Amino acid sequence: MKKLSYTMESPNAPPVQRNWWVYVVIVLVCVVNFLPYLWVVMTGFMDGATSASATPTWFFTPSLEAFNYLISEKGILKNFFNSVVVSLASTFFSVTIGMFCAYALARYDFPGRDDVSFWVLTNRMMPPVAVLIPIFVTFQTAGLLDTLLGLIILYTAMQLPFVVWMLTGYFRDIPRRYEESAMVDGDTWFAAFRKVTLPVMAPSITATAIFVMILSWNEFAFATFLTSNQAKTMPPAIMAYSIGADIRWNVLGAAVVLITAPLILFVLLLQRQFISGLSQGVVRK
Amino acid sequence: MSISEHTTATPTLAFGQRGFLSRFGPSNRTIFPWVLMAPTLIILFALGIYPFLYSLYIASHNVILSKPYIPQFFVGLYQYQAVVQDPEFWHAMRKTLFFTVQAVFIEFWLGLGLALLFQRQLRGIAYMRIFILIPMILPPLVAALIWRYMFYPGAGLMTYYVGGITRALGLGEIPFLSDPNIAFQTLVFVDVWEWTPFMFLMLSAGLASIPRQPYEAAEIDGAGSWRVFWTITMPLLRPAILIAVIIRTMDAFRTYELIVIMTRGGPGNATTTLNVYLTKTGLEFFDASKAAALSLIMMMIIIVMSFVFIRVFRSKTELAE
Repeated sequence: MKKLSYTMESPNAPPVQRNWWVYVVIVLVCVVNFLPYLWVVMTGFMDGATSASATPTWFFTPSLEAFNYLISEKGILKNFFNSVVVSLASTFFSVTIGMFCAYALARYDFPGRDDVSFWVLTNRMMPPVAVLIPIFVTFQTAGLLDTLLGLIILYTAMQLPFVVWMLTGYFRDIPRRYEESAMVDGDTWFAAFRKVTLPVMAPSITATAIFVMILSWNEFAFATFLTSNQAKTMPPAIMAYSIGADIRWNVLGAAVVLITAPLILFVLLLQRQFISGLSQGVVRK
Repeated sequence: MSISEHTTATPTLAFGQRGFLSRFGPSNRTIFPWVLMAPTLIILFALGIYPFLYSLYIASHNVILSKPYIPQFFVGLYQYQAVVQDPEFWHAMRKTLFFTVQAVFIEFWLGLGLALLFQRQLRGIAYMRIFILIPMILPPLVAALIWRYMFYPGAGLMTYYVGGITRALGLGEIPFLSDPNIAFQTLVFVDVWEWTPFMFLMLSAGLASIPRQPYEAAEIDGAGSWRVFWTITMPLLRPAILIAVIIRTMDAFRTYELIVIMTRGGPGNATTTLNVYLTKTGLEFFDASKAAALSLIMMMIIIVMSFVFIRVFRSKTELAE
């Protein structure tokens, strides 16, 4: 009977027979998972004629035609800029505001604490479509349709439950006496919080912020229905290049490159935190 | 518990501030937490509770967004009745359930298989993990666009290579997105592509937390690997399995980008799930009241589903312990 190793990175795992078929399966899965994306990215660097051919071309001279078209004729940099502003601002606000709420939930035991924490979570259970129409109508009345401000407010609210919920767990892990000793030395609560707690929390806050930023960057449904021209972000803008009978595939490819570039960069830079945070965050649920 | 430890800690701390503000300061254990939570609660109330109440209001009235000149009047439960009596609603319900059950079932077994495979200590396996995870890292919008392209007639890799194979077999082109039944399965396929990595990740984390002792005992007893899998791995993995399946079911139930971009609910209404039906009602036909009623019904379904899941989850975990 062959032995199995049971834990992901267990140091005392038994030696394993290296079956070649395992490699074949894993490589095959990697190819299936990665190839479609790679192909679209390659298409983005083709010229119009190459990308329009029905026969796949694997070797070609790279061209920036599609990027030129998107930037100079379609003004996609404006959408890109909108996306950057909206995701940065909503991340900043949701993390800053949610941090204090998480701190209160982790540190203080007050009547109704569990109810508040549960209520915050239920906001995330609601399907976005269920609130789309009321928000549309409200935004219309408040003049927030097609404004960056409207999107920032909405995304901040959307991400808050997630931020509160992730950070509460992290705050609980930090011993309270760190802050207390700083306050005994004469600091105000806020100074102690800033000087002692925040630096310890920095990695967790960064991880949370990255998640929130990615979620805001990718948000599609609200961005589609609440913006039309001025505040249009990348997702609805890119959607526009894929509709219609005569799609220019290299333009679609270039658009996909532009919207995924920041994500891929993030993931490559922060691979380890990203994966562990991803599994931890969900297991905490 | 650690929480109550915090509360019994001595409140006799020195604070730099005195005067009016200190009354709401950190030593005030009844007010201070609420001061800290206030911004969050206000925002969530404004964009969580308020739209919900607004939905309740609209659903009990007759609001058609494209016809603002029609006076809005109270119609009671008429809108809910209209939804339930609409055959299109039941059609969408069936499609949604089929889609969710199929996708989650396939994703679970594929994800579990992959997670078990990645348990092995193989050279270079850590780098491969990132390739496995690519589909779930991509924005759902991009995943949908990529596959729309792959399946596009006269373009895309799938049309070319798979089409080449089927033509050689004398089957002709496969109408991936234009035949009602095939289009539905195509969507399931893409959902599986996109979210199996999620199952893989969750189940890998679950596997990593299983202690080694039961396996060593099984080895001494000479249990076969199949037996070990069913009597040790599966029961101990149950909490991770249930969490992964719950999350994936909730998300599959409200899949949006994938369907809207790849088929827009078509051909005909073959891929019109509840979410697509809701979008059509509300934002194409502008029947805001019916859409609000529909969204409230959907919310009820999701809440009931999560309660059932949590019940099952609790009882099963207690059994496991």
